[in-house]
Amino acid sequence: MIIPARYYDGQLSGTHEVFLAHDGAGAAQAIIVQDASSREIIARWPVAAVKTIPARKGELRLRASGVADGARIVVTGPDHIARIRAGLPQLADHERQSRGEQVRLLGLATLALAAVIAAYIFGVPLLAGRIVQLVPPGWEEAIGDTVATQMEASLAAEGGLPLCDPDPQSLANTAIARFGNAAMEGSGSPFTPDIRIVRSDIPNAFALPGGRIYFHSALLNAARAPDEFAGVLAHEIGHVVHRDGMEQLISTAGTGALIGFILGDLTGLSVAAGLGAAIIDTRFSRDSERQADLYAVEVARRLDFNPAALAVLLGRVDQESAFSRALALLSTHPLTQDRKVALDALSRDRPAGLEPPFTADEWSAIRHMCGPRTSR
Amino acid sequence: MASGVQRGAITFTGHRLGLGAILLRGYLLMVPTIGLYRFWLTTWKRRYYWFNTTLDGDALEYSGEARQLLLGFLMALAVFLPLYAVFFVLSTQSRETVIIGYGAVALLIWFLYGYAAYRARDFRLSRTLWRGIRFDQTGNAWGYALRRFLWSALNLATLGLAYPFMAGNLWAYRYRHSWYGDRPFAFAGSWKNLAVPYYLCWLVGAGLIVTLLVVAAQSGLYQSIEAVGAAGWTKMILLAGGIGVLVTFYRSIEMTRMFSAIRLGAAALVVHVRFPALLGIYVFFGAALLAAYILLAVGGLVVLGAVAGGAVEGHNINIAALLVVMQSSTLALLAIISGYLLLFGAFAFVSELFLGYGYWRMLAKSARITGLEALGDIRSRPEDKALAGEGLADALNVGGY
Repeated sequence: MIIPARYYDGQLSGTHEVFLAHDGAGAAQAIIVQDASSREIIARWPVAAVKTIPARKGELRLRASGVADGARIVVTGPDHIARIRAGLPQLADHERQSRGEQVRLLGLATLALAAVIAAYIFGVPLLAGRIVQLVPPGWEEAIGDTVATQMEASLAAEGGLPLCDPDPQSLANTAIARFGNAAMEGSGSPFTPDIRIVRSDIPNAFALPGGRIYFHSALLNAARAPDEFAGVLAHEIGHVVHRDGMEQLISTAGTGALIGFILGDLTGLSVAAGLGAAIIDTRFSRDSERQADLYAVEVARRLDFNPAALAVLLGRVDQESAFSRALALLSTHPLTQDRKVALDALSRDRPAGLEPPFTADEWSAIRHMCGPRTSR
Repeated sequence: MASGVQRGAITFTGHRLGLGAILLRGYLLMVPTIGLYRFWLTTWKRRYYWFNTTLDGDALEYSGEARQLLLGFLMALAVFLPLYAVFFVLSTQSRETVIIGYGAVALLIWFLYGYAAYRARDFRLSRTLWRGIRFDQTGNAWGYALRRFLWSALNLATLGLAYPFMAGNLWAYRYRHSWYGDRPFAFAGSWKNLAVPYYLCWLVGAGLIVTLLVVAAQSGLYQSIEAVGAAGWTKMILLAGGIGVLVTFYRSIEMTRMFSAIRLGAAALVVHVRFPALLGIYVFFGAALLAAYILLAVGGLVVLGAVAGGAVEGHNINIAALLVVMQSSTLALLAIISGYLLLFGAFAFVSELFLGYGYWRMLAKSARITGLEALGDIRSRPEDKALAGEGLADALNVGGY
């Protein structure tokens, strides 16, 4: 049985037109490589050492262990290949085996990556909570200042976030500051609340790392009772006490790193995974919203306001559409209707005879501190 | 020698369909493997290109393995982990620091890109065999990165006038450090090969760019986008297209002259890249991409119609009805993720199939080797095993093949 083939010896650049023959029996079986013209035997490969290399269709490439690294036998044509394969059944075994190896490696690597991602997704929020305890309050305050500067600079074109009442000694501002300190009392927080009522058409209120709280005029103007204003403010103070802003910052940085360096920035999958991470992020932040609501409930045990009113105010400005309900999974805030139900339940047995957060005069001053409802 | 094959001929025996099947299978397998299959896909892709390219009747062989790429990628993470820490710290700093810091990181990445590109080339060359002999690359990847970095800075500072010198220098560095077995390549080209066509194209290009800017100013683009009329858009698109054609024309000349300057002892590579062929690749690519996205849009509407029955009424989409269906936010999320993956996948698929494949096939078809007889006494050198994958190259996505 003689099969024509091409042979590279792996030492000298060149080709040999050869005939392949089968020799020996049992463990001593070998492929004999014979020069096509001189019939001289130029190589002898033990059958057990021969392996295939992936090649194009209609070509079979063989290498062998124990011979020169680049030495190859190349057989072309389906008939010749079929004859070689019939004579060397272990080729198929070896191919199956190495395919199995690849599948195992890929499976193992995938499992390892999935484990890292899972550990990361569940670990980062937990870790962020721990790390935030290690951040010195002074540092957090400095970061809060930077964030505020960046934010005001980015809004500079629309006039920034100007204070409604720049006089810190005004009736409204002193009342708000007093409420802030009272709400913070006993929490053990290293920060002093710095509450700023600013002019903005967007109904919003948020807390920055380090204790600064922004309350937009559009939200204040939508408030119909002091309870609503006090409730939202107490909720934001809850964020300051829990250091949620800082925690969020650390957590986001962590998940961002996951997307980038585990998956490689340029695979499409990283963005898909990023969306997954975003869901985890928002679940985490919805949890911190609930915690901040609970803080407002705690404050309402010391001052006379109904914390459930905060959900009323937020519900009023944020007309919940079918769309926001549909995207609830991606929203950072729990649905206000759910929050209202929870807050109502929690604030049922508030102690009686507490001092109201603001006097009637103070509330009137606060309501009018941003002027008449010029901006919506 | 094999009969019927012209001495020194380079042929390409692949088919777009064959590569398409590999790519399709690879993209599908990337989903359950969280993207890790890309190392196997790259390996299969290279095998396809290499094995289907024959030089003087003998096919190239790619001996790289997916696990080497995987390992290299893991090592690259070690570089990027600190970079991400830097990004985080930067994001909490003042605006000036952020701008300076991001600029510095961008420069660092631009520098690392040169290193990665050189290492990736080393990996590919040292895993390429022809007639049982390995190619290889020596030289210093850091040195190359620095060289490329400084040249590109000079090129930027001179508005592109330094380009022929940069190209000549870097091509020469790459090829003078490339080996086939125990014989080094040589590079017979220099800036002189490029200067005349480059500076002519530079002048015409500068004229086109200035005209484009003037037309944009006249049609009022700088005041508002809506102010630009149909005539203004037509002119601007024609001018931009003209710049694209000019760049392609220059590229065909550069490729022809530079590839033809590659020597291996007495053997020489002769390449003639035809401008229409190169332009055709881009035109085909654009058409295929357009077709793919139209197909995706139609498919998306059909799926939407199936999922959200009532939402699609004739040609209009009833947003309210659609939102009702999307109430189940898991479904909405799934739609977003799969939609994104499809868009991205389609782009990668079409790019590889039309740009990558087209480019390789055109080069193979337009090249041949003279003086092959001189290669018969080249001996092998041991495999360069020091390289674990392409490391940074994979992380920076360097190199198309």
